[in-house]
Amino acid sequence: MKKLILTLIYTVFWRSFNKIIIGLKYHNHKSLRKKKQFILIANHNSHMDTMAIMSAMPSKYIHRVHPIAASDFFGGTKLNKFLMKYLVNAILIPRKKANSDKDIDPIEVISKLLNKGRSVILYPEGSRGTPGVMSNFKKGIGYLIQKHPEIDVIPVYLDGIYKTLPKGTSIILPYNCNIIFGKKIDFHSLEIDDIVLKSEESIQKLIKRE
Amino acid sequence: MKKIFDFIDLNAEIQWVIVIILIILITATLTFQIWKKVKPSNLVDEMMLRTKSWWGMCFIFLFASLVHPIVTYLGLAFLSFFTLREIYTLLKLRDSDRTVLLACYLSIPFQYYFAFQGWYTMFLIFIPVFLFIIIPFLLVLSGDTTDIISSMCILPTSLMLGVFGISHLGLLISFPEMNTGNISGKALLLFLIFITEANDIMQFICGKIFGKHKILPNVSPNKTWEGFIGGVICSMIIGYFMGFLTPLETLPLILISACIAILGFMGDAIISAVKRDFGVKDMSDVIPGHGGYLDRIDSLSTTSSPFFHLIYFLLLA
Repeated sequence: MKKLILTLIYTVFWRSFNKIIIGLKYHNHKSLRKKKQFILIANHNSHMDTMAIMSAMPSKYIHRVHPIAASDFFGGTKLNKFLMKYLVNAILIPRKKANSDKDIDPIEVISKLLNKGRSVILYPEGSRGTPGVMSNFKKGIGYLIQKHPEIDVIPVYLDGIYKTLPKGTSIILPYNCNIIFGKKIDFHSLEIDDIVLKSEESIQKLIKRE
Repeated sequence: MKKIFDFIDLNAEIQWVIVIILIILITATLTFQIWKKVKPSNLVDEMMLRTKSWWGMCFIFLFASLVHPIVTYLGLAFLSFFTLREIYTLLKLRDSDRTVLLACYLSIPFQYYFAFQGWYTMFLIFIPVFLFIIIPFLLVLSGDTTDIISSMCILPTSLMLGVFGISHLGLLISFPEMNTGNISGKALLLFLIFITEANDIMQFICGKIFGKHKILPNVSPNKTWEGFIGGVICSMIIGYFMGFLTPLETLPLILISACIAILGFMGDAIISAVKRDFGVKDMSDVIPGHGGYLDRIDSLSTTSSPFFHLIYFLLLA
């Protein structure tokens, strides 16, 4: 049932809307079809980013792909939580590290999901930041990949999607833009800093190829 | 004129145009195939890519213009929409212009509705009069006055380039007086597009073969006097032979073809200058070998409105 709803929303509605009205071009998204589990990392400037990535997912396993969202921003009301869970398939995490045993550890939450065989979409920048500018990645991504080195990490570059719905505006406008899926990243060293650096570089590479 | 295919419910003239277009496309494809075998070069590869795109464009265009008027209007409206999107993607507008951009997009269905209904006056004044007042006022309402003058100028002009000109193609087939007696709006539409595109191609070919003296050295180095004059002459000849689509006499027919050629050149030059200002070679990469929508319809956006009024003046006034 959940699969059907998500397929209708993303693969049917958002994909055609993005292609025809927004003018979004999908590059290399078919490479995901063969993969069973992956961590997608993308640059983040707009709420449209999640819609663009989710609409590129193969309908076969779209219900097993979870965007990771900040609970302080999206989990305000019960309605919000409900919508995020069922319409976006998102998992809400706190943005701060766990300081005591009572707090939920964000890395732990994602880690559990990955152990269940689910895929996740991550924005390692942590927030939407300045329009069109990629800020430095947070270290959380390093901890996560260090824990799960066997899972494929795929960089995604969102080119110009921020223009369709910039931070602080509420109308979605059409602009020609691109979503580019890269090849999986080979991490040579599993040091936290190296992982963070390598993932940033892989997205930079996608930017230059354009 | 006799129908080629008796069983198809189309005018004899339109059937002839379709056959002519197909013959041209097949000849071009075969020529470039042979040329490539004999002497491969980058130019041939580019020509082949362009011809391939022409096949696609011709089929989409013929399908949209002949199946049903509603399909024609939807097709034209989407063409306008894609063109506007292309322009706005490259323009660096202010964040406060976003609401007004939405209004610009929303003007497309209105304009094409007026064209569909054949409301001549409303159609004519909607963009050049009504929106030229409303859009600056909407910009004022947004409250941000920094650089407001450039937005006030750019947005209405973008509508003139992307919507107003193209929508005259739609008005041709719905305008009541243009579809009476021996005048057929559809045939006129085909004539206009055929001559405009033929002029583009002939200017390109003449420029490649004879081109020496640059006509606009600072804007578009590819445009030459030889190409321009060759294009105008070729258009007059082609116009004369395609005259069966129009009820015009020989002299006005040749003059109108020359006008289309000159206006087409102007449109081409205008968009070239705009692209130079944006710092891009093509508006986008939608049509392989050609560039974006606006790269292809740049000449149409300036020829269609004058063509409509010339025909109106010659036949109906």
